[in-house]
Amino acid sequence: MNDPRSTAAVSALIYEKMPDSIITATGIHKTYDTGTVKVNALRGVDLIVERGEMVAIMGPSGCGKTTMLNCLSGLDEIDAGQVVIDGVVLHDLPDDERSDYRARRMGFVFQLYNLLPVLSAVENVELPLLVSGTKPSESRKRSMEMLDLVGLSDRAQHLPGELSGGQRQRVTIARALVNQPFIVWADEPTGDLDSETAGEIMDLMCKLNADNGQTFVLVTHSADVGKRAHRIVRMRDGEIVDHGNGQSPVT
Amino acid sequence: MEELFGVSMDIIMAVLLAVFLPVIAVVAFMAWRNPVMLKLGLRNIPRRKSQTALIIVGIMMSTLIMAAAFGTGDSITYSIRKNAIDALGTIDQIIVSARADESDTIGSFNYFPLQRYEQLKVELAGFDNIDGLAPGIGEFAPTVNTRTSLSEGRMRITGVDPDSLDGFGRFYLTDGREVRLETLGPNDALINEDAADELDAVTGDELVTFVAGSDVTFRVQGVVDGGGLAGRGPTLLIRLDRAQEMFGREGLINSIAVSNLGGVFAGAELSDEVTGALRVLFTDRAIAGQLQSMLNRQEVLEQLDLLRPSLGEKLARDLGVLAQGLGEVGMTDDFIGVLADEDVQEVVLNGVSRAGLADVERQASTLFAGLAEFRVLDVKKRVLDAADQAGSGVTSIFIVMGLFSIMVGVLLIFLIFVMLAAARRSEMGMARAVGAKRAHLVQMFIFEGTAYSLVSGAVGVALGLGASAVIVFVANRIFQTGGTGAPENFTMFTHFEIRSLVVAYCLGMVITLGTVGISAYRVSRLNIVAAVRGLPPPVQQSQTPFRDRLLAPLRAFARPVSLGATGLLALATLDISRGMGLLLRSALAAVTSPFGFLGAVIQALWVPMSHGWLTVVSGALMTWLGTASDEAAPLRIGVTLVIIGLGLSLRTLSRRTGLRPDVGDRIAYTFMGVGTLVFWVIPFSSLRAVFGEIEGGIEMFFISGIAMVAAAVWTVMYNADLLLKVLTFVTAPFGRLRPVLVIAVAYPMAAKFRTGLTLAMFALVIFTLIVMSILTEAFSAAVGDSERVAGGWDIQATVNFNTPIDDIRLAIDGKPSLNNQDITSIGGYTTIPVEARQVGAEEQRWRFYAVRAADDQYLLETGANLKLFAKDYGDTQEDIWDAVRRDSNLVVVDSLVVPSHRGFSDDEIPFELEGIFYEDTGMEAIDIEVREPRTGQVISLKVIGVLDRLTDAFGQLGVGMIASRRGMDEAIPFRIPTTTYRFKAAEGVDVAILSKDLEAAFRENGMESDVLSELVDNIAAANRAINYVFTSFMGLGLLVGIASLGVVSLRAVVERRQQIGVLRAIGYRRIMVQLSFLTESSFVVIMGVAIGVGLGTVISYNIVKEIQEDVETVRFAIPWIQIGIIVTIAYVFSLATTFLPARQASRIYPAEALRYE
Repeated sequence: MNDPRSTAAVSALIYEKMPDSIITATGIHKTYDTGTVKVNALRGVDLIVERGEMVAIMGPSGCGKTTMLNCLSGLDEIDAGQVVIDGVVLHDLPDDERSDYRARRMGFVFQLYNLLPVLSAVENVELPLLVSGTKPSESRKRSMEMLDLVGLSDRAQHLPGELSGGQRQRVTIARALVNQPFIVWADEPTGDLDSETAGEIMDLMCKLNADNGQTFVLVTHSADVGKRAHRIVRMRDGEIVDHGNGQSPVT
Repeated sequence: MEELFGVSMDIIMAVLLAVFLPVIAVVAFMAWRNPVMLKLGLRNIPRRKSQTALIIVGIMMSTLIMAAAFGTGDSITYSIRKNAIDALGTIDQIIVSARADESDTIGSFNYFPLQRYEQLKVELAGFDNIDGLAPGIGEFAPTVNTRTSLSEGRMRITGVDPDSLDGFGRFYLTDGREVRLETLGPNDALINEDAADELDAVTGDELVTFVAGSDVTFRVQGVVDGGGLAGRGPTLLIRLDRAQEMFGREGLINSIAVSNLGGVFAGAELSDEVTGALRVLFTDRAIAGQLQSMLNRQEVLEQLDLLRPSLGEKLARDLGVLAQGLGEVGMTDDFIGVLADEDVQEVVLNGVSRAGLADVERQASTLFAGLAEFRVLDVKKRVLDAADQAGSGVTSIFIVMGLFSIMVGVLLIFLIFVMLAAARRSEMGMARAVGAKRAHLVQMFIFEGTAYSLVSGAVGVALGLGASAVIVFVANRIFQTGGTGAPENFTMFTHFEIRSLVVAYCLGMVITLGTVGISAYRVSRLNIVAAVRGLPPPVQQSQTPFRDRLLAPLRAFARPVSLGATGLLALATLDISRGMGLLLRSALAAVTSPFGFLGAVIQALWVPMSHGWLTVVSGALMTWLGTASDEAAPLRIGVTLVIIGLGLSLRTLSRRTGLRPDVGDRIAYTFMGVGTLVFWVIPFSSLRAVFGEIEGGIEMFFISGIAMVAAAVWTVMYNADLLLKVLTFVTAPFGRLRPVLVIAVAYPMAAKFRTGLTLAMFALVIFTLIVMSILTEAFSAAVGDSERVAGGWDIQATVNFNTPIDDIRLAIDGKPSLNNQDITSIGGYTTIPVEARQVGAEEQRWRFYAVRAADDQYLLETGANLKLFAKDYGDTQEDIWDAVRRDSNLVVVDSLVVPSHRGFSDDEIPFELEGIFYEDTGMEAIDIEVREPRTGQVISLKVIGVLDRLTDAFGQLGVGMIASRRGMDEAIPFRIPTTTYRFKAAEGVDVAILSKDLEAAFRENGMESDVLSELVDNIAAANRAINYVFTSFMGLGLLVGIASLGVVSLRAVVERRQQIGVLRAIGYRRIMVQLSFLTESSFVVIMGVAIGVGLGTVISYNIVKEIQEDVETVRFAIPWIQIGIIVTIAYVFSLATTFLPARQASRIYPAEALRYE
């Protein structure tokens, strides 16, 4: 499926065309087989995201947005195609190296906050740093700075259960950004929030994107969120129907 | 097994069935009425197979432990019965001369004319309950097989009359052929299997038997099955006339065996009747009449009335018959029967003595001695009763030992259902949201729980029986090595009574169903919104007014009444279906009302208790009760309650100050935990200094274990965050491990209740195992101190009573294989069974005891240590032994007859001294009287010393007071030959070889010789082996602990699926996830082990220090290897159990887990 020579050739081709792209996905196929039913969640998706871009992926429920995010970030396996992140062919990496790569280069924000309920806000934020081997004192310092950045330094010692929805999502963002990743993946980051809080969260993400030049890939239902992104990629039935920049996908 | 902790097993079974059956009936009824709820409850079972399996294993364990305890008890009861029945066969009673003593089942010296038997046969001709009477002679004599040169020092020689064997069955050879005694010639004999084994004898061999200096040769005509007249233990069977001739007792016999109507077991049931009838027959009516008129006095009757309440049921009844008979004209058979009963005689003499009638007492005592011509020994019934008692005793020990494991099992069941409730929470919340009532949830939960319990209880009972079979197997192996105090030839058989199975099953069920009920109730109180959304439950404050809470207990009882009344009213108005329904509900409510009442009382008292003041007050009350009654349990629990109450008050106070609640709580809870721990850890001696002498039994060990472990776990759990900080600091240098450790510690600390329970279980199990190991070690070391146990002697040898050695030194000179130079000293004594009583003591009955009449050499050379001695007779132990040697009225008693403050009493010796305790620091001489049962002669003696417990290994090497034999020789009109010798070997002599040479040289005297240090080692090894059996039985609890970790881990994987996805997303490798799970279990196990080992060591130290006051050579030593093994097993198996869930967790696919809600 992933012949190294052909993938290398494809990568070279892509780099020639898009020297500044950080994510290059070509011909991604993903099928869920439950034994009785086969669902073609992604049917040959191609996507290029440029460094520092904020891209929103939108589409109706069940169109494959989350699957695409999981496949691009390496959380899920793909059946065919190739994902190149900053020159690294992601799915060629063994599981452990992919885990390390995620720890150092990526940040994740999920709809359900997904903070560990047993750790305080600051402990949650410092987890990725600890995983990537940063010294404890350094980790704590940077986590506190990050919490400060999202406006929660006074809540650092609180458990997630003691925070509001917006505050929890801000902790998640702090956790996603604390290891200064190239890419932040966000799955419905405002899905559980009221519009005012959602706006604040988006303000925060846009500001970070602008200040640090980190790439954001967001999956969302919300048109308001979509409007704040640099471009909107629209999906339907496992395929991209609109890349949002007039470009046709690389084939 | 008939009793447990003194309660009849029938009653226990009835009570358990009375609880279990209605409960099951109610559950079945609910299931029938609510099939939907049943379905909802049961459908969860097959869904998660591994979880179901673990739950079943967990519940199974506590039933298993109980079934194993009962199975072992049954097996012991059955084995003793079977051994007894096999030995006695059809013999139910034995008639011996009235001068023979209680323990003398073969009559030995006390012969009577054979004519008396013929008369008796005529007198008993019309008595239907007896189907056989056999006159006989029983003696012991050393015997040698000339072909094999093997010898048996105590060969029982039984002379049987071939014409009087009706009712006793026939003799069969081991190949199944019948053999008739009539065919035996004067020099022919039959031997039983034991004798054949011992002498390696076959048909045709020549056996030489030594009697009083001469020898008789017999030819073996066949080997017969043992039991009945053929006996148990090596027995040589000859014709009665030959035996009479051989022992020089022409025309005389020393026993008559009686067989009751019916087979071997049925015969025993007639024993009371037959024994009574025989006693009436043997009683001299003229003497009985004299006694009747002599004892018919107001003051005697008053004293008997006073004594009656303190006696057992049977004795009290007999005394009633006696009192009635004394006042009547003439004598009934019942009256004569009880008058002839020796237990009754003792009470009567005691009563007369209390009435201050010394003359009457003396005369009555003489009359009683002549009252009966014969003594009837109901041997079979006694042995069967003893079997039942032993079985109950062993079961009680196993149950007490198993209490910790059972407790741990109960905790596990509770944990399982608490977690099950957590797992079903959102589902149940949903059910509530769509309209299910609380009762429905309770039902759903109960259905599921009951299904688990029914199955696992049955499996547990089956496995428990398997475990008891293993225990029986191991015990047999231990018995074979000897030195256990179990009789030779004793074999254990696996056996279970249906009743015990029912009790074990129902007990397990009742405990499980109770736990299910409590957790179901907890579940039903869930907050719907929190449950559906998976949020932590909100803290609920009781809103019920105080008055209502006080009235609630009454309402619990009013409910069935009001329902019933309404039902009757409805029936009266012909509303039949409603009326019946209400009546049914009323019946149900009546069944549950006691629980409701209890719950309501607890609820009513909860607030004042939790504020602290009521807890302090009730604790103080209990403490006072404890000090007033000198009972340890209420005292210690009371003080603990006071400490807890003070802690709660501290918390209440801190709430009123400006202190932060979490800081206040920490201070209060830590105070409670540490305070309780300190209180239970302080040595007993310090407690005594404050509260005086307090009595506590083995249950205190259980209570203290629970209290200490609970306090330690409580303290750890409330200060876990500090622990976490320390751990974080320590692990700081290990970069990669840190993220794993952070998670591994944070999770268990967040689920405090669950972790606390698991921790408590582990700590408890390890605690018991450690205590057991340390104490085993301490005792083995003490008992194994052969120098101390054997009093400095090297060899102990016994010779046959019938073939004594006149002068041992002279005899050794005459043996070419022996050299007197090899032996530096020889001491000897004879054990004479006597009856004893203490002058001026409360108890004035004659009680069985023994005198060891020792020669001068023994008294001169013995190094036996004295625990106590009377300073008036010497300043050193040597002075005391010297005094005993010089003055034949002075004796030293063994520790078995001296009571102890610490429950070390021995029931085997009925005689007990008063006014002295083993723990005393000194003693005054004590006057006692000793009666020789054959002559009735009374000797006055003075006790001037008490042997220490270790001497003779707690009585296993010899029992009885030690006196100079010169005194006994003077007092007793017949010759008492020396039967026990002790030797000290010269420097450089091989003791083992000397022992063998002695045995071989004095074969004709029936000498059996043992090297004392080997004997002591055997005893120590057997003690150790039995302790290992107990330890492994207690180790079953460890399995429970390990199963619980498995349950917890498996549950954790399910609960944290999504969070594991997150961890994986932010870069945790698979191995890190797996490691974090394993570390989490390790954390619980290591904490549990640390608490268990720590507390176990401390309490063992206290116990050893306490025992040291009695047995100084007990040494506190930590058996590192054994503890290492226990800890390793606990750790490795826990990790193995967690390994699967951990691997499962590491295999969770991040994308899938994140999608999963």
